[in-house]
Amino acid sequence: MAIKIGIMSFAHLHADSYAHCFKNNPRAELVGIADHDAQRARAKAQQFGTQAFESYDALLNAPVDAVVICSENIRHAPLALQAAMAGKHILCEKPLMTTLEDGLSMMQTCQKANVQLFTAFPCRFSPAMRNLKAMVEAGEIGDLLAIRGTNRGSNPHGWFIDPELSGGGAMIDHTVHVTDLMRWLLKQEVTEIYAETNNRMFHGNYDDTAMLTMTFQDGVFATLDSSWSRPKTFPTWGDVTLGVFGTKGVIEMDMFAQYMVHYNDKAGRISQAFWGDNIDAGLTEAFLDAIETGSAPDLATGYDGYKAAEVALAAYESVRQGAPVTISHG
Amino acid sequence: MTRVGIVGLGTMGRTHAEAYQQMPDVEITAVFDRNPVRTEPFASDFQTFGATTLGELLNRCEIVDICVPTYRHAEFAIPAVEAGKAVVCEKPLGRTMEQCEQILEAVSKHNALFMPAHVLRFFPEFKRAHELVQGGAVGNVAAVRTRRGGDFPRASSDWYADFSKSGGVALDLIIHDFDWIRWTFGPIERVYAKSLTFQNLEHLDYTLVTMRATSGAVIHVEGTWCDPGGFRVTFEICGDAGMLEYDSRQMVALRMAKRAEGAQGGGVEVPDNPALQDPYYLELRHFVDCYQQGIQPMISAQDGYEAARIALAAIESAQTGKVISLS
Repeated sequence: MAIKIGIMSFAHLHADSYAHCFKNNPRAELVGIADHDAQRARAKAQQFGTQAFESYDALLNAPVDAVVICSENIRHAPLALQAAMAGKHILCEKPLMTTLEDGLSMMQTCQKANVQLFTAFPCRFSPAMRNLKAMVEAGEIGDLLAIRGTNRGSNPHGWFIDPELSGGGAMIDHTVHVTDLMRWLLKQEVTEIYAETNNRMFHGNYDDTAMLTMTFQDGVFATLDSSWSRPKTFPTWGDVTLGVFGTKGVIEMDMFAQYMVHYNDKAGRISQAFWGDNIDAGLTEAFLDAIETGSAPDLATGYDGYKAAEVALAAYESVRQGAPVTISHG
Repeated sequence: MTRVGIVGLGTMGRTHAEAYQQMPDVEITAVFDRNPVRTEPFASDFQTFGATTLGELLNRCEIVDICVPTYRHAEFAIPAVEAGKAVVCEKPLGRTMEQCEQILEAVSKHNALFMPAHVLRFFPEFKRAHELVQGGAVGNVAAVRTRRGGDFPRASSDWYADFSKSGGVALDLIIHDFDWIRWTFGPIERVYAKSLTFQNLEHLDYTLVTMRATSGAVIHVEGTWCDPGGFRVTFEICGDAGMLEYDSRQMVALRMAKRAEGAQGGGVEVPDNPALQDPYYLELRHFVDCYQQGIQPMISAQDGYEAARIALAAIESAQTGKVISLS
């Protein structure tokens, strides 16, 4: 029996990739789509050969085992609560939430409803990242001392640059992926955070440039550049990189450096033709494992999503204060 | 003939001497080192006079070139300035703000011709990037990243490993970037840094610095003495009209790979970016030209002071965990 999946909102462009992954996975059946934007629901349903539901309730009343939430960031919490109360397992797009209260209520509601809550952190399924983690765990570079990370992108525009819908700008959008990788690698929480931001790329009422400095429980320090600083002419969407520094050596990862350069006269531009593995396929496969067996050890949980978003929210607090801020872990 | 004396006969002293040798209108008339064992072979290599005291050197030259370790810059630069010499002094200007202030005061009091040797301004890739940014090639600058370093440097008596002498990566290494950043992006408002410098790790040093320029640009500077992968420099400048990106490991004009002797296989690759004139030559030629024409060099003692101030602020931030304001 295929696992029945519904998608709640295609506001986030990652929904297309997840829909594609489920369509191509014989273990899954994409049962339907619901969206605030009914027209988008119909268009996407047609594109992916599935049904458009007229409301989220209608989708949740259909025979669906689990949902993927790809709405605007501020709607993650209400949609997750609605899905949990309907007894559906949830894979939620990042950042999990835009306020701590939302994150806590998502986790509590899912626990009470006895449904599983996961966060869409596909970078954990990158073969380069998995090998990096294995090298570190094998002690190849000794004890870890420092990490330098980047997750730059181009400006996604749309609701992403409306803080009323996104909860911020580049910093809330791009901090959580690499923060999650650092937490996953170090098995430690961030205790202190400092951030500098500006809006000098696009001059809007949101941050487009963000540099974070984090200190972890055991003293490892890290910086993370989560800016939307890729220009329009950049050959790809952005990057995920990690430099990991240990007592015995260094590992450098450029997660998506598996491409050939395409000088495309027809399009009048230079692009990167990626040939690496699709990390969303690993993410969606793990979600199906979790639904089927109750276990997917590498899938980021709701708690993981909460802890990563907590760092992004603390980073905004640091910007407001102009000083490092601490995060306590109960 | 312009007469130059070199003080400090280690690696930098030799690099500078080789640059002066290429200038037909310059003569190295004296060299001096506190360690007399170094003086004789150096003097012999460059066919010059090996002075046994600083005074002997000062009596024989118009320009004094200070190449001693950082913590001794003030000790030799100030007497040279007081003796009325034109002085070019290796970076950083000093090990402490007090030393930097003393040099600045002496330069001002004697109205000396003085240049801190921030050679990065003469590296063609950094000079070109500066010109492009100034010309608006990337528009308003939002984010800047620089990265510099490799494995831990080994020098005589291992003085780089002594923080009290070298100041670690923040003061010794990425001061190059701090000066170029000030020159290119304007004054720095505040500095925050994390560092391995104070963790007592033998021959490992690493620092990550985040700065905010008065313009609002956010700047990330990485310095490493813990990367066995070899020396590497990168920079990236992002603005609202474009981006400049450079990586010394990617953009290489010439690579030689030599097969190892014997049956073991393997080998070593030597990358090279040859240029008609090296940055040290261009830097010292600029100073000699300024001396000959009686004009101030493009890098002032104040510039050296400001670069050291950023580096020492980064160290202070890493030590205290606080944001250090420079405005």
